[in-house]
Amino acid sequence: MDFEFSPDEQAFAEEIRGFLRAHPPERFPVDGMDAGYGSGAHSRAFLSALAERGWLAMTWPRAFGGQERSLMYTLVLFEELAAVGAPFGPLAGCQQTAEGIIRYGSETLRREVLPRIGRGEVTFWQGFSEPESGSDLLSLKTEAARRGDEYVLRGHKIWSSHAGIADYGLVLARTDASARRHQGLSMFVVDNSSLGLDIRPIRSLTGEVYHHEVFLDEVRVPAAYLLGKEGEGFTQLLRGLDTDRFWGRFYKAPMLRRVLRELVEYANVTERGGALLARDPGVRRRLATLATDVEAVRLLFYRIAWMIREELPTPYETALVKVMADETGQAVAALGMEMLGLYAPLTGESRWAKLGGSIQHLYQTSLGQTIAGGTSEILRSTVATRGLGLPAEARA
Amino acid sequence: MDLHLTPDQQLLVSTARDFLRRQCPPAVMAESVASERGFSEELWKEISVLGWPGLLVPAEYGGSGGSMIDVALLLEEMGRACFPSPYTQSAVVAATLIATAGSAAQREGHLPALARGDRIGALALAEESASIDDKSITLPGEPGGRVTGRKLFVNDAHVADELIVATRGGSGLNLFLLEARRPGITVLPMEAMAGDRPCEVSFADVVLRGEDTLGAPGRGWEMLRPALQAGALARAAEMVGCAQRILDIAVEHAKGRKQFGRPLGSFQAIQHACADLLRDVETARGQGLRGAYRASRRAQRAPAPGRHQLLRGALAPSLSQAHRGRRPRLRRPVAPSRDRGERHGARLARRTA
Repeated sequence: MDFEFSPDEQAFAEEIRGFLRAHPPERFPVDGMDAGYGSGAHSRAFLSALAERGWLAMTWPRAFGGQERSLMYTLVLFEELAAVGAPFGPLAGCQQTAEGIIRYGSETLRREVLPRIGRGEVTFWQGFSEPESGSDLLSLKTEAARRGDEYVLRGHKIWSSHAGIADYGLVLARTDASARRHQGLSMFVVDNSSLGLDIRPIRSLTGEVYHHEVFLDEVRVPAAYLLGKEGEGFTQLLRGLDTDRFWGRFYKAPMLRRVLRELVEYANVTERGGALLARDPGVRRRLATLATDVEAVRLLFYRIAWMIREELPTPYETALVKVMADETGQAVAALGMEMLGLYAPLTGESRWAKLGGSIQHLYQTSLGQTIAGGTSEILRSTVATRGLGLPAEARA
Repeated sequence: MDLHLTPDQQLLVSTARDFLRRQCPPAVMAESVASERGFSEELWKEISVLGWPGLLVPAEYGGSGGSMIDVALLLEEMGRACFPSPYTQSAVVAATLIATAGSAAQREGHLPALARGDRIGALALAEESASIDDKSITLPGEPGGRVTGRKLFVNDAHVADELIVATRGGSGLNLFLLEARRPGITVLPMEAMAGDRPCEVSFADVVLRGEDTLGAPGRGWEMLRPALQAGALARAAEMVGCAQRILDIAVEHAKGRKQFGRPLGSFQAIQHACADLLRDVETARGQGLRGAYRASRRAQRAPAPGRHQLLRGALAPSLSQAHRGRRPRLRRPVAPSRDRGERHGARLARRTA
């Protein structure tokens, strides 16, 4: 048994740290808000800087311009970037889409889209949820009808992250209206410049825009931009969601370690009511408890990564780790708010803000994370049924 | 034990709920919060006509001499509507401080205007230590001297006409009642995440005249206690109202939203979460009302007006007035266009006890 990264992986971590020292992440311009997951803000400039190092394509097959590195390298990359709060928001979506195109994509997609991902030129949104299809995603109604060498998409998607500043959407639609629920679904790569696509921002609690709703009115998509075959959408979705729950949350643990470190530093220098916060037994106990939880989340992520690398089945593990990561994040943010006290609600715009106003931002953004990407209620049911073998709750 | 509301209290609640539902729907609330002042002056004028800012002000100063229970009930309705206003700062904290600690001249000079909603008061207490206790207030200032320094987290200072400022003196905490426009006072917003407006209030060599002193010099902390307690009870009641509104919205959603072919609220995971919320809201309301009840009782037990004795109970003068059956003077006629319920509310708000 060995809990360490290999010497090569550790050398890669050192290489990333060197890059971050040479290119301080706070100097990169930001295009979209930090949604609080741990991957920082959305910065195209930072994405292309990562691409220049070859880090976007490093796990791809050599035939597609990759270096066939193991997923442990992605783990190391995400961890190092999250540890310093770098703005790599779009990266997980790029990796996920690239993986989909490599596995299922047409020659056209491999030729027209994949290389642009490798160069850090394009970012993606997901068009899965619909206003009436949230937890019950398979009730979705967006339709795609084949017409000649095109598909015509009609429908209404919602909660699509950063859709307004992305280049393509991954849109799940029904290609067979007669098929029930999980059958007859297909995944499309939809160009943001398509006619009939109307992307509208949804303002979040912080006042910034992260989510969008997307109206598709007779949007024409080339048949070659169907990902895989008709009816494969459900399989791809499960893979995608699983990846999303894993990679879309993996960086939360290193981010929370950073936040806890900042809170400890704050406690060490801040007096409340004439006594140091760091001497308050309640504060000490809660910081220690959460530090333990964050380490547990991190270890669970490592274990799942190892299982994926070993091609072991992970029927419930990503659901479990997502629930734990998001709920631990909410607990850290809530403790931070309490520790900052009267300073807690001050935003980064205030000259009085502590820790740059980051805690209130984390607090506000963390609230929706136990809903996004599978609610904690749904995922606990997944753990109960697939992890423990309990009977499923009756559904109509 | 009798947990019923009195008929007058029931009327206050139903009037407030109807008024706020009609006049402060979510769109108006959001617009008010986004405005420069952070609340609607128009609605502030309307609630002033209803007599709300004078609810805690003793009758002889143009208020209705209501109890802390009345205030809690009203604040719960304000919370339910997320009604943005400087009510707690001005009508609860500042009014209580001036009523309990103020000289006759200060009471006569300020309480009627606060009760009418014509002027707004705010308490400038916390400092960079962000600690609210006797020892953490360090801004130096003595009667007859001057003050230089700053206060932080002063809610609603940007719209306040009067500031009550706590300073550290040789014999303890001093309180001063100052006009916010006095030369040398600067108010800057602190930029918070929600709709509230904490402010930084700076003092540059501001004169503190002897007659500005509120209550006995050096006894500021003792005087602050009933006002801080009233403020805390008011805030708690407001939060209960907010929480109740959130619970209502959540339950409505759980009943109406269908997934997997059935209402969300038919799933146990959602039922249990909603049941926990109901427990939280009801226990919070009960605790808050008991706190308000105890504050009212303390006020009733306090002896008749006498400046220092008043410190023991925030509301003593008003209630003793009411108990002697003296009718408060109505300072202004009720607007003629109000419907019956609102007129009752206005009368009640001036008369409750």
